[in-house]
Amino acid sequence: MIRVALKTTLPIFFGYLPLGITFGVLFQELGYPWYFATLMGICIYAGAAQFMAVGLIAAGTGFVEIAIATFFLNSRHLFYGLALLNSFGNWGLRKLYLVFGLTDEVYALMSTIEVPKGADKPQFYFLMTIFSQSYWVLGCTLGAWAGTKLVFNKQGMEFAATALFTVLLIEQWAKIKKPLPFVVALIASAIALLLFAQQMLLFAISISIIIMIVLRLTNQKVHDEY
Amino acid sequence: MNIEYLLIVIAIMSGATFATRLPPFVLFSGNEQHQLLQFIAKYTPPMVMSILVIYMLKSVDYLSIEGFYVVIALIVTIGVHLWRRNALMSIVAGTVVFMVFVQS
Repeated sequence: MIRVALKTTLPIFFGYLPLGITFGVLFQELGYPWYFATLMGICIYAGAAQFMAVGLIAAGTGFVEIAIATFFLNSRHLFYGLALLNSFGNWGLRKLYLVFGLTDEVYALMSTIEVPKGADKPQFYFLMTIFSQSYWVLGCTLGAWAGTKLVFNKQGMEFAATALFTVLLIEQWAKIKKPLPFVVALIASAIALLLFAQQMLLFAISISIIIMIVLRLTNQKVHDEY
Repeated sequence: MNIEYLLIVIAIMSGATFATRLPPFVLFSGNEQHQLLQFIAKYTPPMVMSILVIYMLKSVDYLSIEGFYVVIALIVTIGVHLWRRNALMSIVAGTVVFMVFVQS
């Protein structure tokens, strides 16, 4: 099962390693010892928020502001659990860790792929989450530790995230086989880009969910077919 | 360099991030079978996936040479995926093509 979980999360490795390294390189310019980048990868585990943190720490930003900024930056995650309520059982501490580790990439994978036949579900999800976080922590550490000395040319590797989401979008299409959610997402994205470009992800996701609920409650056809 | 400040910032950001991931599990615990919730659970992932793809592609300048590389890499990713349906292979193929282009 370890091998299957490794293979399943390998696309995340290609995305997290270069991004983590980029974070680490930025972080070490603050002058703190490298292992604080490791600590941030372990305790915070949120890409965009950690990048933002570098700027906030450099500016000596106040704690309340940091709390609010982090919450809003990550607020799209508020919706991610919705799709996994049924997938996660009452697995105690392990479940808490799965919730803690629910990043964009992990959510995308978990909400799309099936757990392999015969695999222990909580264990499989746990491995997926801990492997993904390890890649991130490894990247943060390497970047902060080796800094600019790191020679391998990772330029362009960031495309891995786009490729991962694209592939999972195809898989979602194969699963759902109905156009409505995709069309709704397109419309919601357009609205969000026009009106709330700074917080595009949060608004696009909220708007799309609201449109779907309204359609389901008001349109008999949507209610019956979806 | 202020270690104490940094440690408090890390603790706060850790808590704030967790606070964005936890609420659905607390709010809807026990209501998993509710029809509307099941509907949302089923249709949120395709919508989020579409939105994430749009988000990743929205700031690309499609008239630049890099925009051209993105389009090619996307075609490779989608093509390989439709051909073999192997997620890892499609992602690696698309990423490698993109890396070769931008580094050359």
